[in-house]
Amino acid sequence: MNKKKIVLAEDNSTLSLLLKFRLEKEGYDLFMAEDGKKAIELIEQHTPELILTDIMMPFVSGLEVISHVRNALNLKTPIVVFSAAGQEEMVLKAFNLGANDFMGKPFSPNELVIRVKRLLS
Amino acid sequence: MEKLQYFIEYFNEEPLIIQITWIGSCVLFITSIGLIIYLKAIRSHLRKNEKIVNTYQKKYEELLITYLYAGAEEEGISSKQQSIIKKLESEIKNEFKREIVITTLLKLKNEISGEMADSIQELYCEVGLLDHSLIKLKSSSWYIIAMGIRELTQFHIEKVQHKVVKYANHSKNEVRKEVQFYLVSLFHFKGLDFLDDLKVPLSEWDQIQLLEVLQHSKDQEICNIIPWLKSKNDSVVIFALKLAEIYNQFETKEILLSLLTHKSEKLRIELIRVLNHLSIFEAKEIIKNTFNKKSKDEQIAFFQLLENLCDSNDKSFVLEQVYNKNFEIKFAALKILKTLDNNQFKNLELIPPESEFVKIAKFLQNN
Repeated sequence: MNKKKIVLAEDNSTLSLLLKFRLEKEGYDLFMAEDGKKAIELIEQHTPELILTDIMMPFVSGLEVISHVRNALNLKTPIVVFSAAGQEEMVLKAFNLGANDFMGKPFSPNELVIRVKRLLS
Repeated sequence: MEKLQYFIEYFNEEPLIIQITWIGSCVLFITSIGLIIYLKAIRSHLRKNEKIVNTYQKKYEELLITYLYAGAEEEGISSKQQSIIKKLESEIKNEFKREIVITTLLKLKNEISGEMADSIQELYCEVGLLDHSLIKLKSSSWYIIAMGIRELTQFHIEKVQHKVVKYANHSKNEVRKEVQFYLVSLFHFKGLDFLDDLKVPLSEWDQIQLLEVLQHSKDQEICNIIPWLKSKNDSVVIFALKLAEIYNQFETKEILLSLLTHKSEKLRIELIRVLNHLSIFEAKEIIKNTFNKKSKDEQIAFFQLLENLCDSNDKSFVLEQVYNKNFEIKFAALKILKTLDNNQFKNLELIPPESEFVKIAKFLQNN
């Protein structure tokens, strides 16, 4: 059976590792990017079924990743954004650019898994 | 050898200014070379250090994630978790590694919530990092104490409150700030009890930060602020006034009115602002009776209050003030008069005692 592919763009290596373990345990294939630039490369290379991205990242931000996916690549891949407290405006921008869901940090990894399952079902 | 001999002869024959220039250039050249070597050494040391930190961080990240997913089904710590705890226990004996472990734990704790965040807190206690933070509290250096308290805040260690609160009156502001942040972050309004015994001033910046933390806390049930309004520490009273304003503490009306005779002018001005916000009409008569004894800033603050709370009973008082020498008071008085009795305001326009007066009246007439 083909595993569903997820690109995870997150600059916090510990959080990335935790989510990788958790989502791989649920049967997904994870591709990790520590910045937006790498995330775009991975998306173009693997065309994942879901994209998880932080908003604030080095080089290329999460907003730019969403914009690239929706406008340059013309993909309808569901996108979930992670945002920290005080980034409410960024979240609104992310939704305007085409994000499907968001999770405010700190978030529960279990809740993320539920949302991922819902979006990929 | 001949060349060197030639150079020395050439140098000796040159005028003094040229010799000094040569010496200066040589010194600068040698210093520059020395500095370049020194910077190179620092940079390579930092890079090497960064590499070591990254290696350890990766190692601890993996241990942490394994620990979090190795939890037993039932309550308690599994054998795999126990072995990780032992490994980390031996690692944190080294101060350098201990700091990396703390950074790694915090890196994840700040990003996740729920059971896993609780497990990280548990791990912090189990491996003995809590004991290390508590040792820091006993240090003679203020910054180590501050760091220890910050760690306790970041890991939400509530059970050591009695040990932290001892530093609420520490001579260093940085330590006091960490104590206040610890108490308010973990216990919200209950944490403000430290104000009861605060002997030192609470700076404006500290007050802003405390209010910020309180406003973000889930528990918005404010405690009784009256004891702080009665505090001998003026900064505590000012902070309590801010709480009264933000959390609309109308029940503190009597004590607020009694503060109108407080010795501190800064406090009285802040109080008038709060009375204005809470629309406490009783304040008007009290201030009017002593208006002439008040400072200019208080008088201006009072007129700002009057702009919101004025009624027809204030007309005679306002009329007295339209000729006040202070521009702001005069302007506010005319503005209030225009609201209360426009006809009388227009009549005033006909008596031009001074040009500024006419200008204000015309401006208000047109706006």
